[in-house]
Amino acid sequence: MTAVVAAIGHTGARQLSVIGGLARFTLRVLRTAGRLTRAGRVVTLRVLVNQIRFTALQAVGLVTLLAALLSFLVIAQSAAQLGRVGALDQMGTIMVVAVIRELGPLLTALIVVSRSGTAIAAEMATNKVMGEITALEAMGIDPYIYLVFPRVLGAIVSVACLMVLFDVVALISGFLGASTTGMSYEGYRQIVLSTLSAKDVWITVAKGITFGAAVALFCSYHGLAVTAGPTEIPQAVTRGVVGTIVAIFIMSALFVIVLA
Amino acid sequence: MIERESFLVQAYEMGVEGAAPLVFKDVDLRERPDHPGHRLDLVVEVGAVTAVLGDEDSGVGDMGRFVLGLDRPPWGKVLVYGTEIADLPWRKLLIFRRRLGYVPVGDGLLQNLTLAANIGLPLQYASDHRQKAVDERVDELLTMFHLADVATLRPAAVNEEIRRRSAVARAIALDPDLLVLEAPFDGLTHRAAHEIIEHVRHTRFGTPRTVVITAQDLGPHVIPLMNRLVHVEDGLAMEGLE
Repeated sequence: MTAVVAAIGHTGARQLSVIGGLARFTLRVLRTAGRLTRAGRVVTLRVLVNQIRFTALQAVGLVTLLAALLSFLVIAQSAAQLGRVGALDQMGTIMVVAVIRELGPLLTALIVVSRSGTAIAAEMATNKVMGEITALEAMGIDPYIYLVFPRVLGAIVSVACLMVLFDVVALISGFLGASTTGMSYEGYRQIVLSTLSAKDVWITVAKGITFGAAVALFCSYHGLAVTAGPTEIPQAVTRGVVGTIVAIFIMSALFVIVLA
Repeated sequence: MIERESFLVQAYEMGVEGAAPLVFKDVDLRERPDHPGHRLDLVVEVGAVTAVLGDEDSGVGDMGRFVLGLDRPPWGKVLVYGTEIADLPWRKLLIFRRRLGYVPVGDGLLQNLTLAANIGLPLQYASDHRQKAVDERVDELLTMFHLADVATLRPAAVNEEIRRRSAVARAIALDPDLLVLEAPFDGLTHRAAHEIIEHVRHTRFGTPRTVVITAQDLGPHVIPLMNRLVHVEDGLAMEGLE
């Protein structure tokens, strides 16, 4: 019994330590934002553009495909069931609340975690193991400015843009799903627009910022936490990705609670 | 043209005016500090090329990290321009390091950057200069170290000598007064070693640069290029080679 309590306590303490470390890490990244030199800003912009290319542009196809499939399946199934009970007008609520507000941001963030989160964690861990972080510090360069800050900015911009793309594709594909039950374009447009509000747009933007920041911060933190050697790199990637997924779900739940 | 004073003024304001570039005071280099009689006292003179040699377990390999404040010695003080570097707060430490040049064992180059980008890195992040001025200085260093033809290659695509030359070029990009090189000539030819020393001996303003080289051993052709040789044995410094 004592061993069980000790194990629970140990795990809890470890998780608290990670949360504390992450909070310090985030504050440090925020503080670095104001310390960029003129030429440093040019390099940061270059790294940022590259990050957006890898994170957003190269994920456009995947996000489009998954958004189209998810929306088509959800709306086609819902429309068929709701049509039977004469509640087709509720389809707009399903589209906006389930797909646009909840599933879209979640799925987009998961795509970014699986593609770019893993890359960020592996790159940071490799930098650490190869002694490149020490080399940067020895040159008087803050690794947070050079490595972490542009990736956080890039992930925020990318996730927000991909979420907007997801929503647009989902709305179009939702019509295709609804049309399988014989619904007209005008009918679909009226049902969806009557439910969609400006609040949904702001929620999407807010989720884009928080989820994007979470992906870059969690993965960078775990990547830079590597100390032992190359064998620790896969573990760091796993910790970063799993931590980000859990955090995204928790933040999603918090959005529901706060905005209820 | 880049003028040192314009972008490194903060770094050069730190330190004590007139102090020796580097002082090891009562420093225990070994992992297990024991006898106080086996601690290192060493003052590095201004403008001299000093080689500090010692076996693998002598602790000489850690001296560069102590000088840069990357590690703290188990006992004693390391004073860089009169400042105990290990005691500086993080932000000040980063700024202070901009007046020092450092080439770690191997090369310390960033693998995902080209050689030119590696050389430009300290200029971009540790200075407030425009990109044009940075590019000019990078071109100057690429020419000086005969790297222009390989400037766009990444470290993994070039041989050890080119990597080492690039690392030294990066270390003097900010034209530091004090340069620390760890085992810089391992695996290099006499010609390459000679060339490196000639390039780092003086600052851009023509004044002699203080250079500290730590290594286990130096080739017979390289020794005459040193102004001073210090051999570390049992934690103590002895002038000349045994």
